[in-house]
Amino acid sequence: MVEDRLLIWKFKLGNAEALRRIYEKYKNDLLKLAVALTNDVHTSEDVVQDVFVNFAQSAATIRLAGNLKTYLATCVANRIRNAVRDRQRHEAAGIEDAECIVSEAERPEQWAILSEELELLSEAMAQIPYEQREVIGLHMQGGMTFRQIAKARNASINTIQGRYRYGLNKLRSILDGQVDK
Amino acid sequence: MKPADNIHELFKKAAMNTNPRMDDTVLDKVLIAHEKAKNTRPALAEPALRRTIMKSPITKLAAAAVIIAVVVLGLFELITTENKSGVVWAQVAKNVEASPSVIFRARGTGSRDPNDDWPNAYRIFWRSAALDRADWYRNGQIHRTIYTNLDTKTLIGVLHDHKMYSKEALSDERIQQAREGKGWSDPQTLINLALSLEHRALGQKTINGVLCEGIEATGPDGGTGRLWVGVETGYPVLAEIEGMKGGIRTTGTLDQFRWNVDLLAEGIEPEIPAGYDPL
Repeated sequence: MVEDRLLIWKFKLGNAEALRRIYEKYKNDLLKLAVALTNDVHTSEDVVQDVFVNFAQSAATIRLAGNLKTYLATCVANRIRNAVRDRQRHEAAGIEDAECIVSEAERPEQWAILSEELELLSEAMAQIPYEQREVIGLHMQGGMTFRQIAKARNASINTIQGRYRYGLNKLRSILDGQVDK
Repeated sequence: MKPADNIHELFKKAAMNTNPRMDDTVLDKVLIAHEKAKNTRPALAEPALRRTIMKSPITKLAAAAVIIAVVVLGLFELITTENKSGVVWAQVAKNVEASPSVIFRARGTGSRDPNDDWPNAYRIFWRSAALDRADWYRNGQIHRTIYTNLDTKTLIGVLHDHKMYSKEALSDERIQQAREGKGWSDPQTLINLALSLEHRALGQKTINGVLCEGIEATGPDGGTGRLWVGVETGYPVLAEIEGMKGGIRTTGTLDQFRWNVDLLAEGIEPEIPAGYDPL
């Protein structure tokens, strides 16, 4: 925490090395969170890259009263929310497939390398409602408290805890089912 | 075992690695974005004018100081009118513009700013064309110092609460931006702003034993600035700004002014206390 505050302070003074350290420290956690929320490696890579690029551009304006990891995790979750909304719009407009073909053709080599456990987890997460998935991801991977999630989502803490409980139960049955098979 | 334990265990086991070549590629993009951002906005956080003032006055003192001079310069149009009060506003405008340096205290309230614990937090600024120092205080204790010297191209930061410091060289580009982004010392900016403001006389009152005369100016965004000037000295004594941002009222106060101070003689470059480590 103290190290993060120092890194942030130095980053705000324009120090690139501090930014490099922040990137090295959190890229894996953020990619893992993004994969858990999207079950899509390419989208996760794009989201995390965008979050870091935006963060890099914010040195002069960023105000961080709290935890850096929490801040970055919230940025990732917000972008994924937007991406989910965009995808739903595109699906409604019938242009999803065309976009996928283009993006696959232009895509550089893969950045994130997933373990089998992460693949299993993200596939199971994909089967529960997004709201529940988001709470589980932000709490377990993003390290956020229910209160912090409630504030970020402008929801009551009971709602967030409810989503978490329902999500965990569903996730557990899904995973148990997969193990039984 | 509770469901949370199972899933938590799975989250722990679910490892994630990255392709080192792509790591470098993404990091390059991030660093380029950082560099570009530094080159497109002043790294010394000199903000845009009233929009930023109203956003968070305490952290935008350069801009807040603009209001002082703007309000003063806004009275240029009164120069030709008969002035029955003790303040010669035209002279005040000249005084502010001609002052090579100023020291002042700033306090403010606003949202989402951890420094906004009014009245326990404040900053002391030393400012001239080439030198800029800000000391941040909380509960009477200094916890940050940021100093820039555009002539020696030096940036020094001291984190008193962590006993750490940083010394860095400023690039020519950043120095140029800092000079251009001085805000309150840029007459052209001030005059342009002054012309856009309406103002009214507030009369006289005594502030800390000094007889002052005040005016109030309102910007197009509804933000208000009040300036009180010493009748005898012709220099600003107190400036207050207030406005609404996102439904939250923000205020800023600048006082304890000392004009025409020789900052070099004052020796404002911070000394790094013994026992502090480089950041």
